[in-house]
Amino acid sequence: MMSKPWLHGFLDLCLLAMLAERADYGYGLAQRLAAAGVADVPGGTLYPALLRLEEQGLAVPSWAPSESGPRRKYYEITPAGRTVLAEQAAQWSRFRTGVDTLLTAVAPR
Amino acid sequence: MSDWPDRFHAELVRLGVPGPRARRLTEDTAAQAAETTTDPAGLFGPAHLYARHLVTELAAPVGATPPRYASGPVLLTLAGVGKRYRRRTVLSGVDLTVRGGEVAAIVGANGCGKSTLLRICAGLTRPDAGTVHRTRRVGYVPQDGGTAGWLTADEHFALFGAAAGVVPGRARSTGAHLAAKLAWRPEPGQRAQQLSGGTRQKLNLVLGELHSPDLLLLDEPYQGFDQGTYLDFWHQVHAWRDAGRAVVVVTHLLHDLGNVDHVLDLGER
Repeated sequence: MMSKPWLHGFLDLCLLAMLAERADYGYGLAQRLAAAGVADVPGGTLYPALLRLEEQGLAVPSWAPSESGPRRKYYEITPAGRTVLAEQAAQWSRFRTGVDTLLTAVAPR
Repeated sequence: MSDWPDRFHAELVRLGVPGPRARRLTEDTAAQAAETTTDPAGLFGPAHLYARHLVTELAAPVGATPPRYASGPVLLTLAGVGKRYRRRTVLSGVDLTVRGGEVAAIVGANGCGKSTLLRICAGLTRPDAGTVHRTRRVGYVPQDGGTAGWLTADEHFALFGAAAGVVPGRARSTGAHLAAKLAWRPEPGQRAQQLSGGTRQKLNLVLGELHSPDLLLLDEPYQGFDQGTYLDFWHQVHAWRDAGRAVVVVTHLLHDLGNVDHVLDLGER
């Protein structure tokens, strides 16, 4: 699981990537993040990030009923969201390659 | 708690969020809590703190690097400040200006007057020369002391809250929330004198921030912290800065200085 300061920078990227795969609601996204082993994201971190994506036009919400309990707010990625996702994915991949290079120099064989 | 949405909405409005937007955010937040079938206080913490957090988060652009905030209004000005104890000059001609969104570090060898200068910033010590202008809401965290050994953390929150006009329940919940940010969960019934040195410093820090001051004055507040807590502390300093507050830290650790806006070196005396 990623420690908090790192997650802060990459949470938006993870959310956009999951939404590009399929539209989802908050709790569903939290479960997908946890299942992927990325992080247990507390509600106080996840929901502001989702609202921010919405307000900056990177994801659009729609309300959908659920079989059990209250209705849910599903988020769908927008074309602008896909553009940001592509940029950030490239940034992440450069970052990861850099860190991997540093780590392989000291990694036990 | 059924009045959580009301308190959340009231704090958003107090923070300057326009009415319709505040209502929409309140409805959204209630719906989010309902999705997880958790009550809002359990999911988001105290209403007023989550409101502040949300406003800060929404102002930030989406991106891999958190933004640096532009400097705000001047919250502390020292001009030509001097201090003597009998015939010994401790400080002379000290100038410092700190704006909201900035961190200033006061450095120098032991005994060079760092703590005296911080007390002058706080208005607890009168300078012999020069002028001091400070904003009204100031939080001061002394290096040690400032806590009462026989009181619990909770009682401190209520007591210091009362001094700042905060009702006990709100002071307690705010205190617990701020403590959690420093990875500390106060044990009920445990008195301050039973706390380790590092934890007592955390208590001091929480008390300094309890009334959400605009200017924070910290005197080496991490004595006795382990490495993890030390990092949490700097993380917290930067969170304050990014929320537009001014922070002045007395420190003797020079590697802290990469991330500050002003360094005031009092040198050796």
